Amino acid sequence: MGSVLQLLFTGLGIGAVYALVALGFVLIFRATNVVNFAQGEFSMVAAYLMVVFAVDLGWPYWLSFLLSLGGMAILGAIFNLGVYYPLRNRSFLPVIISTIGASIFLANTVLALYGPQPQVLPGWFDAPGIQLGQVYLDSQYLLIIAVTILLVAFQYWFFEHTLLGKKLQATSQDKEMAALLGIPVATMIMITFVYSAVLGGIAGILVAPVLFVSIQMGSTIALKAFAATIIGGFGDVAGAIVGGLALGIIETFGAAYISVPFKDAFAFLVLILFLAFRPQGLFGERVAEKA
Amino acid sequence: MSVARATRTAASGLSRSAVGHAVYAMLAVAAVVATATVRTDGYVANILMQAVTYAIAVFGLSVVLGLCGQINLAQAAFFALGAYAVALGTVDYDIPFFICLIAGMAIAFTSGGLLGLSTLRLGGHYLAMVTISFQQILTVVLINGIQLTHGPDGVGSIKRPDLFASSQAYLALAVAVLAVAGYLVWRVADTRLGRAMRAVRDNEIAASAAGIDVYRTKVVAFAICAMLGGLGGGLFAGGFTYVSPDQFAFSDSIVLLTMALLGGIASPVGSAIGTGLLILIPECLRFLKSVPGLYLAIYGLAVILIVVFMSDGIWGFIARIFRRPATVSPAPARPLVLRPADSGAAAALEVRGLAKYFGGLRAADGVDLTVRRGGVHALIGPNGSGKTTMLNVISGLYRPTAGRIIVDGVDVTALSAHRRTIAGLGRTFQNIRLFRSMTALENVVIGAERDGNTQVANDHVALEERAQAALDFVGLGERSSDLVRSFSYGHQRLVEIARALAGNPTVLLLDEPAAGLNSSEKKHLHDLLDRIAAQGLTILIIDHDMTLVAGVARHLTVLNFGRRIADGDTLDVLRNPDVAAAYLGAE
Amino acid sequence: MNLTRRSVTAGLVAGVAMPAVLRSALGQSAPIRIGMVLPVTGPAADSGKYALTGAKIALDRVNKGGGVLSRQVELVTEDDQTTNPGAVLAFSKLAAQSDIVAFLGSIRSTQNHAMAPDILKTAKPVCFGGTDPALTKLGNPWLFRFRPNDSYSGRVIAEYGIETLGKKNWALVHSTDAFGTGGAKALSGSLDKVGAKIAIDQGYPNQSQDFTPVVLAIKSSGADVIGSYFTFDNDLAIFARQLRQLGVTIPWVGSASIIVAGAVKLAGPALYGTYGVADYAVDASPESREFAKLYGAVSNVAPDNYSSWTYDAIGVLCAAIAKAGDTDPDKVRAAILATQGYKGAEGEYNFDQFGDGLHGYNIVRNEKGSIVFDKHIEFTD
Repeated sequence: MGSVLQLLFTGLGIGAVYALVALGFVLIFRATNVVNFAQGEFSMVAAYLMVVFAVDLGWPYWLSFLLSLGGMAILGAIFNLGVYYPLRNRSFLPVIISTIGASIFLANTVLALYGPQPQVLPGWFDAPGIQLGQVYLDSQYLLIIAVTILLVAFQYWFFEHTLLGKKLQATSQDKEMAALLGIPVATMIMITFVYSAVLGGIAGILVAPVLFVSIQMGSTIALKAFAATIIGGFGDVAGAIVGGLALGIIETFGAAYISVPFKDAFAFLVLILFLAFRPQGLFGERVAEKA
Repeated sequence: MSVARATRTAASGLSRSAVGHAVYAMLAVAAVVATATVRTDGYVANILMQAVTYAIAVFGLSVVLGLCGQINLAQAAFFALGAYAVALGTVDYDIPFFICLIAGMAIAFTSGGLLGLSTLRLGGHYLAMVTISFQQILTVVLINGIQLTHGPDGVGSIKRPDLFASSQAYLALAVAVLAVAGYLVWRVADTRLGRAMRAVRDNEIAASAAGIDVYRTKVVAFAICAMLGGLGGGLFAGGFTYVSPDQFAFSDSIVLLTMALLGGIASPVGSAIGTGLLILIPECLRFLKSVPGLYLAIYGLAVILIVVFMSDGIWGFIARIFRRPATVSPAPARPLVLRPADSGAAAALEVRGLAKYFGGLRAADGVDLTVRRGGVHALIGPNGSGKTTMLNVISGLYRPTAGRIIVDGVDVTALSAHRRTIAGLGRTFQNIRLFRSMTALENVVIGAERDGNTQVANDHVALEERAQAALDFVGLGERSSDLVRSFSYGHQRLVEIARALAGNPTVLLLDEPAAGLNSSEKKHLHDLLDRIAAQGLTILIIDHDMTLVAGVARHLTVLNFGRRIADGDTLDVLRNPDVAAAYLGAE
Repeated sequence: MNLTRRSVTAGLVAGVAMPAVLRSALGQSAPIRIGMVLPVTGPAADSGKYALTGAKIALDRVNKGGGVLSRQVELVTEDDQTTNPGAVLAFSKLAAQSDIVAFLGSIRSTQNHAMAPDILKTAKPVCFGGTDPALTKLGNPWLFRFRPNDSYSGRVIAEYGIETLGKKNWALVHSTDAFGTGGAKALSGSLDKVGAKIAIDQGYPNQSQDFTPVVLAIKSSGADVIGSYFTFDNDLAIFARQLRQLGVTIPWVGSASIIVAGAVKLAGPALYGTYGVADYAVDASPESREFAKLYGAVSNVAPDNYSSWTYDAIGVLCAAIAKAGDTDPDKVRAAILATQGYKGAEGEYNFDQFGDGLHGYNIVRNEKGSIVFDKHIEFTD
């Protein structure tokens, strides 16, 4: 029983990481109909920024955190202007390729500036974890789960109960109509990219103490997060969360009870099954094309 | 138009094509001979080997993505299937190289087809994800299925065929294969399959209505793409004589896709250019290696810039500069022959108890409709009464909740949209659905080449003649070589009608054909409909324009809230008080 | 000056002869060029930096001592991008330069496999660091290995665990890539030969991010010692941390990655008290200590096996060229094979007929973050 609980905890922990990154995907997708292949790199860049501020320069953790997120906001804005905006009227494929180019660019720029050595980022807490009976709760994973819950709550409140949130939703559902209603669509999209970048940054900074800061840390998570958004229901925020958590648990239990080497295959197998039998995911809606 | 001019036109077309073929053949032979005889150092030979084998795989992408518009992020997986077939076959089982190569292509072809089956319900991002998943799973299997695949150690000492054992001879073989594959991919765009793929890419629903089996077309596109990937992979294995799983990962699929997009997605020339560039550029940028990451960062930036500023890829950019307006004059006008089938059944189209519910909304609720043979029958009603829904159910876009549809005595209720077209249904759309990348003639040819068209033989010349005749019939004969997106709205609608007529339908369904037309265009439409009816075709028309409807239709059926409220001769129905109440509201 | 006929003749003769004299003089001081294939980009980029540093230190040493055959030695590098096709292209680019005398290959076995056909064609000596035993059994006479291969690492781990630590119930943890699988095969083979029990043989995919299932499996297997083959530092560090978090304290003898600087730094206390088989250990010999000193002068990272093998390779190569008296490939090859008792940073090189130079490993221990040399185990068969 102890192992099951332990696996459950770790599965939720890693699942929360997928969920956070997936959230960033979903937001950009809903606003712009674009899948951002560079979302994982946002997490990676933020983690490196933290290393520069908190470790290399030795500044206080909270200050470094805020500065890093500020940096991510700027990166999100530049990304919107440079990668998405010029292609906003084209089909989804050039945009995908453009975001892939951006992910290569970001990863290698960090490599050129910082070098290839993985770095250590200390966690928020000094204590590494709590032992609860037979289960060890890594403190950083606890933090990740807590922050995910908070962010989801915040996001729900923001989108459903504030005017800005409603405007963002309107933009994501029908850009033309929103524009006709006087909503500044370009600004809304900019806000979406900035928020997504910050979200990705939070995910990266939270997960770095556990997975270490390396150039590749973003891309492996991002692919799984993308799968999670589909399992949850593409374009649905609650779906991204549930999908991420579900994926983390499926992976962990699959590794423990079926096969560790095939761990990565499980995620994709589950995805294929969903796509075959329930493409709208757990929460998504079927969309028909008007003849 | 005189016969002499026509002959000259036909001849020029033929010679252009023949010249093109001859030039290609000469270049290909020259390339093969050069590769076989000119000595180069190992470095250049290796680069060429990689470029040639990758280019063949990228050709595959130009088919499935460029022609058919379906995304495939697993091309490296199919490349791997071909490579491992050759590797394991020659090393573990001592099977001759060429048999392994063909086996690899067959395995890739089948898996590509299976992956294509997933397109039944998925497109866009979902399809991307399925292909990514297939890729990832294959990578894991290659690494861990050690009994079969040798695992991460890879397979070495792969044997080349005896005749091509030397590097130079083998490279020449690869170049020859490249030339042949390139030729086939180049020509496929103008075949019936190629046109079907382009139609699916441009507008799936219209393709289906024009009689194309969209699903089968996509599956075939995937299979061909995969087969080319397998061919490239098999040659790659023989070229480098060593393969390992780390060479066929998701990142390699991305590389192949980027090569395709950079060069220009829809043409093999573009594929070759993109492949060449993306292999050469990193080699030329080796001097930047002193700072790790610098040249890949520049590469990433370059990808973004090319995608932003050269949307058709490099070849598309070049081709656009050199594109000259079409100068081919159309062939002489032959009258369009419309011979709708007549099995002797009482009605051309019969609808019994048709219902279509969208959840709680009853868009169509138990409607009966009988369309007598010959002449125009109109379906009218206020907005939201269910007219377009009826048309969509009749033509097969929606599945009915209940009821039956009988076309010329044949129950077509269970048939898919394209099969109903084959059964004799033709239609146009409220929102114009033309294949925007093609000329008017090509659009109409697609309509003409539907299965079961008794009025035309299945050869290119006959199809083009029929298409031209159809365009002449609607009054657009002069503009058959123009791209449809240069046409006005009204003219585009006429092209749609021509496309439907070219297929010699038994019943023609017109969905708001007058929408968006000015009064002179409406008059032209009125004349056109009379001429069509005069040939014995049955027309079912939906429209709001009462003048037009009253003018052309002999028979009216009126819907309100999904139910039939009136049906009969036009004048009688228009005088029916229920009809007035439905449109204008009760007192 | 008096322009006599004699002086003109002398001048003409000198003028005609001068280019030849110059040429031969220049020819004698034309540097000996050695090509090096290394990862400058890609996931292994950090190891490439170390490899280059080690080679450069050896190069400086040789050149300061007057070079080889009175010529300075020069290194020419190409990036292999950490991929197989990249390695092949890098090697063939170097091979196209006919004045390159010998090459340094890769530390990754699959890359060496990929380059092997081209190496055979080029017919010049290649020194490499990959540990797949098959590489020296390919029948390729130009491959020379400068690290002990995995058949030895497996035997050493087994022998140390059983003889010195007295543990007979093994948990094998290894990456599923070529290195991990090959290493685990070697280790389990050695364990079977001495009749030890393998409680669990657990592979994991690289970049796993979470090792909870692996750790739980080890716990429930009842093993009393862990033997491991990890490829990447971050995987190793995450595993080590989770191992300690879940309360596993049994002894752990790992392949060389367990004591490289990167892993030690990332994992911190989680790796204290673990053992590693290291082809390079600072205190193993006076030569290894000297290498550490030279390395410390140019870098603030501790040296490890990524740099020591290239240091030794340059050393042995230059010594072999000097002994052969010529840069002719066959002569150099014969000289390398004849190298016996060469004391390098990695150990004593005694080349066998297959091209393997080293036949043993050091055992080191992670003593609260510093690597302490324990003993050396050598095989003569």
